[in-house]
Amino acid sequence: MNSMLLLTPIAAPLLAVLVYAGAGWRRATAHAGTAAAVLILAAGITLAVRVTRHGPLDTAGGWLRADPLAAFMLLGIGTIATIACAASPSYLATAGHGATSGSSRRYGLLVQCFLAAMSTAVLAGNLGLAWIAIEATTIVTAFLVGHAGTRAALEAAWKYTVLCSVGIALALLGLVLLYDAARHAGLTEADALNLPTLAAHARALDPAVVRMAAAFLLLGFGAKAGLAPLHAWLPDAHGQAPAPVSALMSGVLLPVAFSQILRIKTVVDTVVGVAFTRIMLLVLGLATLALAALLLVAQRDYKRMLAYSSMEHMGLIAVGAAIGTPLAITAILLHIAGHGLAKAVAFTASGHLYATEHTTRLDRVTGLARRNPALAAIFAAAILALLGFPPFSLFASELALARAGFAAHLGIAIAAALVLTLLAFASLARHTAAMLLGDGPPTPSPAPTANPASLSLASRTPLILGLATVAALGITAWPINTLLHLAAQAGH
Amino acid sequence: MSTDADLLDLAAGLFLLAAVAILWRRDVVAQTKWLIVQGAALTGIAVVLGADERHPELYAVAAGIGLLRAVVLPALVRRAIEARSEDRETAPLINIGASLLAAAALVLLAYAVTQPLVRLEATAAARALPVGFAVVLIGLLVLVTRRKALSQIVGFLLLDNGITAVAFLAAAGVPILVELGVSFDLLLAVLVLRVLTARLRAAFGSVDLDEMRELHD
Amino acid sequence: MLAISLVQAFLVLFGAPLLVGWMRQLRSRLEGRVGAGMLQPWRDLVKLLRKAPQQPEGTGPAFRIAPLLGVACGGVAAAAIPLLSTRTGLGAGADLIAVVALLTLATAALALAGLDTGTAFGGMGASREMTITALAEPAVLTAVFALATRVGSTNLPAIVAATLNHGARLASPATLLAAVALGVVVLAETGRLPVDNPATHLELTMMHEAMVLEYSGPDLALIELGAAMRLTVLLGLWSALFAPWGIATGTSVAALAIALAALVAKTALLGALIAVGEVFMAKLRLFRVPELLAGSFLLAVLAVTASFFLA
Repeated sequence: MNSMLLLTPIAAPLLAVLVYAGAGWRRATAHAGTAAAVLILAAGITLAVRVTRHGPLDTAGGWLRADPLAAFMLLGIGTIATIACAASPSYLATAGHGATSGSSRRYGLLVQCFLAAMSTAVLAGNLGLAWIAIEATTIVTAFLVGHAGTRAALEAAWKYTVLCSVGIALALLGLVLLYDAARHAGLTEADALNLPTLAAHARALDPAVVRMAAAFLLLGFGAKAGLAPLHAWLPDAHGQAPAPVSALMSGVLLPVAFSQILRIKTVVDTVVGVAFTRIMLLVLGLATLALAALLLVAQRDYKRMLAYSSMEHMGLIAVGAAIGTPLAITAILLHIAGHGLAKAVAFTASGHLYATEHTTRLDRVTGLARRNPALAAIFAAAILALLGFPPFSLFASELALARAGFAAHLGIAIAAALVLTLLAFASLARHTAAMLLGDGPPTPSPAPTANPASLSLASRTPLILGLATVAALGITAWPINTLLHLAAQAGH
Repeated sequence: MSTDADLLDLAAGLFLLAAVAILWRRDVVAQTKWLIVQGAALTGIAVVLGADERHPELYAVAAGIGLLRAVVLPALVRRAIEARSEDRETAPLINIGASLLAAAALVLLAYAVTQPLVRLEATAAARALPVGFAVVLIGLLVLVTRRKALSQIVGFLLLDNGITAVAFLAAAGVPILVELGVSFDLLLAVLVLRVLTARLRAAFGSVDLDEMRELHD
Repeated sequence: MLAISLVQAFLVLFGAPLLVGWMRQLRSRLEGRVGAGMLQPWRDLVKLLRKAPQQPEGTGPAFRIAPLLGVACGGVAAAAIPLLSTRTGLGAGADLIAVVALLTLATAALALAGLDTGTAFGGMGASREMTITALAEPAVLTAVFALATRVGSTNLPAIVAATLNHGARLASPATLLAAVALGVVVLAETGRLPVDNPATHLELTMMHEAMVLEYSGPDLALIELGAAMRLTVLLGLWSALFAPWGIATGTSVAALAIALAALVAKTALLGALIAVGEVFMAKLRLFRVPELLAGSFLLAVLAVTASFFLA
């Protein structure tokens, strides 16, 4: 029973892969992916309930393990995957890049492989398996980023593959060093990368080696999570990828990579004390935040704008992880959930926007509120959520983060982070307002078929539900209250 | 000194020399040949360690590594090269002489940084650890300072070879399953990069990375 | 014993032109020519010695001293290096750094002589030669350091004796890397391909030849002899450091005879390798030479680090 539960999030997308491989992309199979995502969500909910009541589960000799943090991340993956996969058929239908059924089939295949890899990374009880899964996501998403086939998309795909491969290779170096330290502390070959065993024997590890390993691991997984200095792939990849894929990357990939950092942090802090990871994460987080805030000011492309916003929030999450107290970790977990959902809605809405406007340039899109009210409302609500307005949950999580920071005597860092967030707030608000308000373009849009039809109900529903969830989370954390607190304990 | 330690030192020295030669040569074809030498040296390190510690599975792992890094991966890179003069790195970001001097500095840095690791145990393998680190740093140097896409792939392979060397010299590898996963991922990554190179060439006409400037802020 | 040192010096003095002749003859045969025979350099030297001494107007002591200094440094270096036996009788004076410095002194004197002539060729040759030397010195000294750390001293007989006693050390990465680094430096210091073409007289490619363009008669004979002695001494040094088999550790006549035969064989073999290589190699463009020497320096640094951590 345990094994079934733990294997479902991985097996369901793989089944969808088989469906796409065999039957191709058709009307009948188009929503096989969404079904797999819903199954992941269901498994996540069941696991969350189980884990809250009975404690962590594991199977396959400890290689797969569900603790509260894993169940929480799985919930996030399931929700965002549902939104993204539900939006994929309409995206592919209006893609207009000479989309053949072959490329659509490849798209469906790769997205499902991506979901399987993400579930594996979250449920991995062994750091080696987590690494393999995260490396697999780089390979799978390389072609997804370059799906459009244009020069810009290929350039983005190249940069993404090279930078993420280098980053993940550095993480492998860190893993090798950690394995070395573990073996010299007496752990057996099979157990040396097993997270609970590492946590239990943490005091026996050599501090200098663990410090080196931690530096490489933070840099490497940080590259996948969009933290400086290996962040340059993020705006290009998110800007060029299809909108549902961008939603998945922002909402799922970045947080899952960061969750690995949280797990490693637990082990490392026991060995070398809190100061080392705190300083490293503060530096990385503030640098990312600064870069994102500065580059948001002069943005010209709304998808890149959303990508920089993702970078900004990941920087904020890194600062929260640096604080490290249970309140801070709870705050960043809530932030991960809220940001993931809001960003997914925003990217999906931007996908619909691209379908009607046929451009991603900010200055060519104006007066959206007048021309396409439903889409404008959804987009505006998503941006408001990202800006941190109540009742959306990002307000609560940012507030909690600030409180935790001041309580841990990191006031200056928090103040700097808040100033940078304010800068990003201003830029994001200004660009969005320019897009939504106003009279609309003076000349009619070039494509004759672009009668900006309203969003269909099927397209609207997942987005509105997503926004409602973020709002609900902002008001009360029930029913995931216990789960959040348990997960924060695990990550502390 | 036992012969095993001598052999290990020789293999490690050849490993580092291959990395230096890759940094020195401008021609991607020549770099591929040195990658083969480096793969062979890495296999040698694994075999000597296997003989030393009497772990029979290390021989199997060594065979796998030899197949992947000395045969398959260099062949993949070689096939991606077309016989055009564009595949000669004519203008790296820092000239070759300066790269070589930087490599000297990186080797010294690797030696200094890995002292805690070397102190963990007093075997010949642990003493040879700085070699693996030096190759990792040289791989990063190649990645950062070369303009051709294929040179970057070579740099990435250097980086990965260095990490595998560190893994073997430090703790006789990582668990077999992890090693398998890592190798498979590496193979797929290189395949992806090859396909992207082909598409880039079709779209841009050459694979000079400096010409890809469409995405910037 | 001092006698051995003197024997070594005279051996190099008389044998150097023979080595040059051997290399030229081998190269001629490989290129399909008949060649002038192994004794031709001696014939040239004798012919030059019979001519009247000439000195260009305006040159001073630098021009006059350089040829003498070249031969003298070569002779002293030959006396110091344990070519035949490790008991050279010079004691602590047989120091590796001292030998390197002697050879550099000869180069510097020649460069000054080239400048002294006041011609364009002299200046150009001198500046090129000093660039090469300046870039090669760090490589030499670092390689010397790598070799010396193993033994704990830079005394040549001590190094050679240590290598003879622990033969396995020759196969260690540090020694191999130092061998390659020093090999490149030997090619650079003796003006062989790919750094400098010894047979060229084209303005674009001359280095050593440009400096000595104004010499004639006995001075030229001494210059040529000095260059040949330099080549022999460097090849002898390389083989003593990295292929010391045959070098006697005592002073018995039998051991010395074996050492003599070994020395002749090794030097002839190294010379042959260089000659054969030159047939197939092209000269490097001048601005690529720093690359080659930087690579040689890197190899020497690797040799030093390897000698520290690959013990």
